[in-house]
Amino acid sequence: METATWGNQGKLTIRQKLWALDWPLVTLICVTAVIGIIILLSSTNGQWEGLILRQSIRFGIALVAMIIIALVDIRFWMRYAYTLYGAAFVMLVAVELMGSVGMGAQRWVDVGIIRLQPSELMKVALVLALSRYFHGCTLDDITRLRRLIIPTGMIVCPVALVLRQPDLGTAILLVFGGGAIFLLAGVKLWKFAAFVAVIVGSLPFAWRLLHDYQRERILTFLDPHRDPLGAGYHILQSKIALGSGGVFGRGYMKGTQTHLNFLPEKQTDFAFTMLAEEFGLIGGLALLVLYTIILIYCIFMSLQARSHFARLLGLGVANTYFLYVFINIAMVTGLIPVVGVPLPLISYGGTAMITLLAGFGLVMCVSIHRETTIPRSQLWQP
Amino acid sequence: MRRILIGTSALPDSPDDSKSSYKGSSRSRLFTVLGLFILCFAVLSARLIDVSLLRDGGEPSITRAGSDRPGATGRADILDRNGVLLATTLRTPSLYANPRVLLDPEEAAKKLTTVLPDLSYNVLIQKLISKRSFAWLKRGLTPLQQHQVNSLGIPGLGFLDEYRRIYPQADLTSHIVGFCGIDNVGLSGIESRYNAELTAPDRLGQAISLSLDIRVQNVLHNELSEAVKTFQAVGAAGVVMDVESGEILAMVSLPDFDPNRFSEANAESRFNRASLGIYEMGSTFKAFTVAAALDTGIINLKSRYDATNPLRVARYWIRDDHAKNRWLSVPEIFIYSSNIGAAKMALDLGGDRQKAFLDKLGLLSPSTVELPEVAKPMWPQPWREDSTMTVGFGHGIAVSPIKIAAAIASLVNGGYRIDETLIRGKSVSAKPGDRVKSVSAKPGDRVVSAHTSKMMRALLRLVVTDGTGSQAEAVGYSVGGKTGTAEKPGKRGYRRDALISSFVGVFPSVAPRFLVLAVLDEPKGTKATHGFAGGGWTAAPTVSRVISKIGPMLDVMPIREKDAESHMILEISSEEENLEAF
Repeated sequence: METATWGNQGKLTIRQKLWALDWPLVTLICVTAVIGIIILLSSTNGQWEGLILRQSIRFGIALVAMIIIALVDIRFWMRYAYTLYGAAFVMLVAVELMGSVGMGAQRWVDVGIIRLQPSELMKVALVLALSRYFHGCTLDDITRLRRLIIPTGMIVCPVALVLRQPDLGTAILLVFGGGAIFLLAGVKLWKFAAFVAVIVGSLPFAWRLLHDYQRERILTFLDPHRDPLGAGYHILQSKIALGSGGVFGRGYMKGTQTHLNFLPEKQTDFAFTMLAEEFGLIGGLALLVLYTIILIYCIFMSLQARSHFARLLGLGVANTYFLYVFINIAMVTGLIPVVGVPLPLISYGGTAMITLLAGFGLVMCVSIHRETTIPRSQLWQP
Repeated sequence: MRRILIGTSALPDSPDDSKSSYKGSSRSRLFTVLGLFILCFAVLSARLIDVSLLRDGGEPSITRAGSDRPGATGRADILDRNGVLLATTLRTPSLYANPRVLLDPEEAAKKLTTVLPDLSYNVLIQKLISKRSFAWLKRGLTPLQQHQVNSLGIPGLGFLDEYRRIYPQADLTSHIVGFCGIDNVGLSGIESRYNAELTAPDRLGQAISLSLDIRVQNVLHNELSEAVKTFQAVGAAGVVMDVESGEILAMVSLPDFDPNRFSEANAESRFNRASLGIYEMGSTFKAFTVAAALDTGIINLKSRYDATNPLRVARYWIRDDHAKNRWLSVPEIFIYSSNIGAAKMALDLGGDRQKAFLDKLGLLSPSTVELPEVAKPMWPQPWREDSTMTVGFGHGIAVSPIKIAAAIASLVNGGYRIDETLIRGKSVSAKPGDRVKSVSAKPGDRVVSAHTSKMMRALLRLVVTDGTGSQAEAVGYSVGGKTGTAEKPGKRGYRRDALISSFVGVFPSVAPRFLVLAVLDEPKGTKATHGFAGGGWTAAPTVSRVISKIGPMLDVMPIREKDAESHMILEISSEEENLEAF
């Protein structure tokens, strides 16, 4: 790889890169993850063994992986963007063919020691692949509809597979995560409008394809009281728990709704509710502020990059992270239907943690290599 | 040293991006996206404040345990038709302490153990020295104990009222009243069916009055229990019904259970055979066949059928249990319970008319009785010719005993359809304290003509005076009725050794007011019955004993037998002269 001819920055040594690593961001991420572990600890009533230990070890591994990803040359990620996307796609197909079924949804594939959720990996891989694609497009290219067929396909194919699993949350994340890159790359707004029109037009058909439980969730979202003990249970209990917390919360490990097991999925998708019940509105808002700081940090770091790929990549990852936060909190506060998106860095679960930290690794990679320039036309097609 | 590059130099390394328009749009777009992000987070914050402080749409901030809901504490009583208590709620005080307010825990514990000696001093002191603000000390005190604790005058002790559902009649009404779970929510019977009404805050204190008469219930319960013991039956069901209003005065299913200790009851005893069980009732169905045939006019009481030889249907033979091997008249078919005759009569009637008639009587739909435990009847589908014949004598069709009672009542009450009910005065409003009278309910749809109804009464009476039901007679009450004996279906066809034996009786047969149905599940013959276990030998005497005991309770005047006999024959003979043969 004759990188020197591409960049005006030359090759950095590992020491230089480590020095350039965004340590404030690493600190923010660690703080959030520690908050997550503290909340999980409450859900297990202070039991360190098992759950907490596993989550801590995962975070440690993911943190190391994040730093390694950050240190790798950004051109490496660009070169292998399509390969990674392809790999994630193949795994998605594999899940479709032979994935083991967990919780009624087919989301896992066994890769030897660990079980991976390829739909999670796809979230990062899609951002990488789209960033690379649009990096290679001129502004004129982008105005041509023909040029948008391939990237649209890049989104639609995995979304179709993910929907079949069925995992509505991931599908929404992929559509909005990918769509945001279209927007940032400069695709005209009327095309989005047209796309939205097509989606709205196809809603009646999509309704028929939805699983009964997904329909129930949407109907129940519109009126949770229609089924307070069934499909509306999650959201009602979540709202009750939020109200139970009040301004200052019921105190650590004292949340009645969560500790008396009224609140389901409190360690995963509804972790935010648990935090808000025990630490109150103050705690919830504080976490939201923390998330916002991380988000703005990521956006500004991405904007400093000199290459189009890096900027798209950084912003794309930041956007995906934002979507996680927004969808999860909007879900548990009853703003949108329950779709099953974990709360970043807080919810218990391995693959989401790895995906997010890998994403942050890429943002840091963008930051470290912000001075690296990559010719645009050269690499648009492998 | 980072430069913030929003839009100022979008992509310096690329010649394509020198266009200022792109830079401009790129910058505005970035701001738009950033703005959107911030807006979204602002929305989230607002929502969070909304749900945690302003409390959205009347949702309670805390979910309360079941027993704290206002409806569950006050639960209305359930009474029988004369106001006898069948289910009530008792308030029992429970003692708690607020250790933070307590002045001297040791003294308090010492004093409490003198009044409540079953509490241990050590356990008490543990609870009382804790820093909590609430601790249960003892649940379910008696009023005397409550008084004694109050007399101790210890600050920091208090009482909370808890409620317990009590069923004073215990297993006598187990299947009708049903029971409540630990959280005072009805789980079966009336308790479940009328859970909402019993707990509705706007009608607290308004008891539900059932049509049940606990005295009649008691008689039926005793007699059926006796029959189960005598004939070693696996179970029994029985109904006493007012034939004019359809009100159920008694309904028993054996084995039963004590609803005060419902958790100890097994599934077998919780099962209500009278409404949830469905059985092939056998010969009782001949009453419907004969009534339909008489009412449509295809036969009259003089008509005769050849019952000389068994009748072949597909792979089976239809035989008579009390075979006469000759031509039989319609009354003879009925009183000797001839399967061959009934099958031929059903054939003449035709499947469509037969089905329509049974439907009109309500036999093809689930019972409308006010219980959650009702069963759908089973009937042949498709309704072929062989089905028509077997249904004609009560096989191939399974209905619940409660439906049989209502259908027979509809045949004898003058011919209009009544529906069984457990609620007193449902069809006509009755005043509290009314004695049982034949409440002249609003006549329902006519099912047979008044004339047919009269003939059916005569035929039913003949079964008792001259036919298979002779043991059902209760002196003075002019019982009319029909026996039923059906083999229970087993794995390989019908089981000869396992019978459903029943008797449905009405009294007084001249102008019936009440109906008594007794169904015995797998009765065994005894020496006294010469080994027979059919309806005429087991269920009929039970019905007889029930009628002789409840007759006086229900103000039914005994009739002198001769008068009744002649009265009836006169009534019948004015239209038909055939009866002198009997």
